[in-house]
Amino acid sequence: MTDERVIHGVVGSVGIAVGRAVRTFDPLFVSFNVKVRPDQVRKEVERFRHSVDKSREQLKRMQAELRRKSGPESSFLIDAHLLVLQDRLFVDRIIEKIENESINSEWAIQQVSDDLLQAYDRLDDEYLRERRGDLEDIVRRLLHNLQSKPLPPLKKLPYDAILIGKIVPPSTLFELRTQRVVGLATETGSPLSHTAIMARSLEIPAVMGVTALSEVSSGDLLIVDGERGVVICSPSEETLAEYKERDRDGRKLKKKAAASASAPSVTEDGVLISLGANINFSEEVRSAITSGCESIGLYRTEFDFFREGKQLDEESLVADYSLVLKTAKGAPVTFRTIDVGIDQKSWDGVNPNFGVRGLRFCLENTDVFKKQLRSLYRASVNGRMRILLPFVSTVDDLDSASEIIMAVRRELDLKRQPYDPRVPIGVMIETPAAAQTCDLMASRVDFFCLGTNDLIQYYLVIDRSDQSVVHLYNPFHPAILRCLHQIFSLLRPTGKSITVCGEMAADPPSAAVLLGLGFTSLSVNLGAYPRIQRMIRSVSMAQLRDLAGQILKMQKPKEVEEKVRAIVYRS
Amino acid sequence: MKEREVVIGHRLGLHARAAARLVELSSKFQASIVLFRSDPTNPVEADARSILSILLLSAGYGSKVGVRASGVDEDQAVESICEYLAG
Repeated sequence: MTDERVIHGVVGSVGIAVGRAVRTFDPLFVSFNVKVRPDQVRKEVERFRHSVDKSREQLKRMQAELRRKSGPESSFLIDAHLLVLQDRLFVDRIIEKIENESINSEWAIQQVSDDLLQAYDRLDDEYLRERRGDLEDIVRRLLHNLQSKPLPPLKKLPYDAILIGKIVPPSTLFELRTQRVVGLATETGSPLSHTAIMARSLEIPAVMGVTALSEVSSGDLLIVDGERGVVICSPSEETLAEYKERDRDGRKLKKKAAASASAPSVTEDGVLISLGANINFSEEVRSAITSGCESIGLYRTEFDFFREGKQLDEESLVADYSLVLKTAKGAPVTFRTIDVGIDQKSWDGVNPNFGVRGLRFCLENTDVFKKQLRSLYRASVNGRMRILLPFVSTVDDLDSASEIIMAVRRELDLKRQPYDPRVPIGVMIETPAAAQTCDLMASRVDFFCLGTNDLIQYYLVIDRSDQSVVHLYNPFHPAILRCLHQIFSLLRPTGKSITVCGEMAADPPSAAVLLGLGFTSLSVNLGAYPRIQRMIRSVSMAQLRDLAGQILKMQKPKEVEEKVRAIVYRS
Repeated sequence: MKEREVVIGHRLGLHARAAARLVELSSKFQASIVLFRSDPTNPVEADARSILSILLLSAGYGSKVGVRASGVDEDQAVESICEYLAG
């Protein structure tokens, strides 16, 4: 018997966590109106000021610790809180209220913050409306400090906990990190929220926007799958076993950090495979590098580019990219320029997968593209950068992109801005057009990456977001095998490197097929890193080449898959 | 009193990070500094030293904002705030 339920959200922070739900309650809105005797008003104001001072000290300590642990990426979150504490609109109004109305601090805070929160709710801008969370967080802290009780009694939890709630403020997550909090799931929020940034900095797997979470109660067994963006409630024994294994993998990866850094991924018969990590957010670089990943094979920059609901300005981008390169400590980082256009839910009967996305978007919005390129080049002196262009389908696109790149470089030359002129430029092969003509593009670029997710979707005419056809999505389809074989054959004579960075590289059987077809450079998400490394070490390249020869002659995906599984999972 | 209008050049508009920097910058001057939107249907004023009021001004990229300062260093204040906002 099983009442396993999978509920969908979006990935806030990658990784797998298994634990019991602990619901966090918001202690807001529990204040009472108490009249203060006129001769006590001054004392009451002092009490309020004291809680402000105390809150400031706590935040400064938190900021220092966060800086030590995670670097400067996320300490700006606390800056906003500190500024609220010195904001006259907030602090002075509360003091005025206490004095004029002879009321207790709690009630004054409540009334002033209610006004402000309502003002936030009236804003049109979604990003700004979300900032009310910062204010709520501060109010909560002040109220706690007024009671001169320690912040939520940090009793040691008896089991691994998954924090759940409508929202979980970033500071709550931070304060509970030393408890046994292994994961996070929230009903609202997005990967752009400050809570998500905090979760990534603390390396706590998180799934956000899980609306159906309201039915989960404290104590329920949960799996947070920060790779697929789902939460699994009351998992079956089977599911649990599968995830526990993956979870162990993740922990092993962290533990063996130093050891695996010096242990390259080599097949049984001595072929060295280059294995990189895919990341979506700059905060993930640190964990990738400390886990021993040899490179960042794919950094999808669009998430950070629109980090706060809007595009970042150039100076912030330069600072972010520089930090990424410095954190990578000399490991190469492949920055894929923004691939936007696919997440617009404004369908209007038009499938955005076939519309203006990736490089097409950049060529139509050259000011955006130039800003990102300028920021990348300006940051390039801080490490080993590679620039990758997504969704290229013609040589003409590539020529236009090259012209823009040269224009940006000339601009920097004129301003005497230093940059690395040798930054390699690469093309993402993910459209059938690029797959067929990659050899024609080779003379114009330094390297290639292969995005199998989109390639399979376009080749097999399957929209991955359409539930009615998603089961037809299959990397073992003979059409895909032939396509991959062709790409390899077209590029081999050109001598240009090619890295496979789609999901195919992250699944051991299909990754084995890639090796057999000749691809010796893969890049996968951090969660998949250990299992792919293990697969590489357990196979022989000679055998995989032989396997590739056989499966290229097969007719049905099922046959191919069975054959491959028999070899990869033979032991 | 000194007053000038400026178009917000930050891609971000006046969002948390940019707003925090603006508060920092404004605190360096003695003059009182006010940002305002002259939109007749929705006039809003913000104290440049209050992060909450700046955020509530909700000034996006490309929007027009007035900067008004009064005090001994009002000239420099208006100049550097406008320069910062123009991006």
